Amino acid sequence: MNGQVPFGVADYFWDEARDRQRLLNQLMETFRVWGYGDVIPPMFEFDSTLSAQYDDRLRRGMYRFLDRDGSTLSLRPEFTTPVARLVGARLHDWPMPQRFCYGGSVFRYVEPQAGRQREFWQVGGELIGTPTPAADAEVLALTATALNVAGLHEYRLILGHIRYYRCLLEALALTPPQSQQLQWALERKSEPLLADFLRDIPLRTGQRQAVESLPHLVGGDVGGVLSQAERHIQNRGMHEALRTLRQIVDALSGYNILDHLVIDLTEIRNLGYYTGISFEALTPGLGTAVGSGGRYDDLVGRFGPSQPAVGVALGVDRLLVARRRQEEANVVERRQRRSPALALPRGSAAALAQVQALRMAGAHIQLDVNGWSVDTAFAYATQTGVRDVLLWQEGFQHYRSEGDGDFAPLGLLDESQLFCE
Amino acid sequence: MIQNQRTQSLPNQARTERSLLFALSKGRLAQDSLAFLERAGLSIPTDTESRKLVLPAADGSIGFVMAKPRDVPIYVEHGAADLGICGLDVARETDRSVYEPLLLPFGHCRLSVAGAVNNLSGTPLRYMSQPRIATEFPRLTRRFCAERGVNAEIITLGGSVELGPILGLADLIVDLVQTGTTLRMNGLVEIRTILESQAVLVVNRTSYQLKAAEIRRIIERMRILAV
Repeated sequence: MNGQVPFGVADYFWDEARDRQRLLNQLMETFRVWGYGDVIPPMFEFDSTLSAQYDDRLRRGMYRFLDRDGSTLSLRPEFTTPVARLVGARLHDWPMPQRFCYGGSVFRYVEPQAGRQREFWQVGGELIGTPTPAADAEVLALTATALNVAGLHEYRLILGHIRYYRCLLEALALTPPQSQQLQWALERKSEPLLADFLRDIPLRTGQRQAVESLPHLVGGDVGGVLSQAERHIQNRGMHEALRTLRQIVDALSGYNILDHLVIDLTEIRNLGYYTGISFEALTPGLGTAVGSGGRYDDLVGRFGPSQPAVGVALGVDRLLVARRRQEEANVVERRQRRSPALALPRGSAAALAQVQALRMAGAHIQLDVNGWSVDTAFAYATQTGVRDVLLWQEGFQHYRSEGDGDFAPLGLLDESQLFCE
Repeated sequence: MIQNQRTQSLPNQARTERSLLFALSKGRLAQDSLAFLERAGLSIPTDTESRKLVLPAADGSIGFVMAKPRDVPIYVEHGAADLGICGLDVARETDRSVYEPLLLPFGHCRLSVAGAVNNLSGTPLRYMSQPRIATEFPRLTRRFCAERGVNAEIITLGGSVELGPILGLADLIVDLVQTGTTLRMNGLVEIRTILESQAVLVVNRTSYQLKAAEIRRIIERMRILAV
């Protein structure tokens, strides 16, 4: 055995594993507080199910393999489709709206990058059965809350509405290569490519101005951007997209996150299965989004009666990288120690009983099961970063590390000492 | 305390809170890039020959790194740098997810297919069954051939691809051409242009939104000169 792991997966251990697990739990708890119920879909499913979403890039990156009966299976690349399947196929007659949250591994055959291996952790939530801007606003506000819980306070939510662009395309009546040309220009926010498009393709004045204005429909002046966009409405669809955004903005002022909101009506990559709003969460220190989401009204209907839906997924590892880079671990520290205390019971049953009592109270304690001498215990404690050593002598005598291998006696154990930082 | 993941907890020395980091391409584009930035009214480093990896602008407002051209889009995609200048050829070959707001008025050249003079006699590429093509641009070459249904054998080299046909390593090459002198000296002629290239400004997608004001200001200044 060579002890290697495949490219794209990783071992997480010690502090890093604990931080990951803890953040996952905190985020899940945030979703639960907002009324989202847990769902645990299978790790792999029929490929045809997981391919039901429309995101080409996601589909290309799926891990596929054969079941023993010859059917094609895939590891889940995200949670939204399994949740849509569950609601569409099994829970379709349960009262709407239904709220679900999830957390766990997803798998994508992509180049590993900062905060994203080929197996990575996602936490997210789906709000199914409601088409309203209030539902969109809830998911945005929930995303903002989750980012705060993760210790990221300087985030921006970049909000767009895919129907503004799709309906503009309809109005322009472009050929596929022409819309490809426009999409290329917008994806890159490239002024020269947009100029080429406008030069190559004859448009009526109003339509031309609508295309010319696209690069300016980006910014934190939410009202200003929407007003400007309203001047270039070509059809009912574009009008509805902007009206929805206005209503979301109104709702978000109640959640007090407008300062974090940026409108970008030209962000059209990573569309995937979105049919309405789409958004990305950005933070300083990480070049890629830590979370993304949007409205997908066509997906549940592929598995049963159609239902509108909106959701968000956050990358746990990316959140951790971003937080580490911002170096501001503002998350509330629980009563938890870095390394568990080391208790030497020295064969006493009473010692074991007290260790149990301390654990019940929330102290993290590892037991010496080797019958170590004090010196051996101190050496082990020093090497592994244990601060507190408890030695049984008619009650636990408490020794505390002073660094460089020395331990100071604090006398008989005072329980509260195990919890102070 | 045993520290897991030591590297990631190192302080980020290259950048302070709000300043921008600009990645420039070493080599062909370096002098033109600096001259252009200066014309656009940006403060540039005074000592570009320095061994220091991150060069502060004369007034300290922006940091600069001189990177291998192909690394510029990668730095920018990952947010290690907020902005960068590289060739369009490099941007297309590396195909990173970055914004490209402006083309810049220097570094003009073209990516071309070339072959030995005596070897060609006017045969279109699509008639060749399995041409061997030496190049530093395997992605663009593969796409160019695939679009024409040509099943080429692509040999990726790190430089001096003109040697390919001379040594019998390849039938054709795909390389950047500025004046064509190097090709002629090696008995090669241009057959087709794959891409017209020039310098391009690339911007990290997150920085574009989070440092919008600073970055828009730089784009405004450049736009006036970028015709």
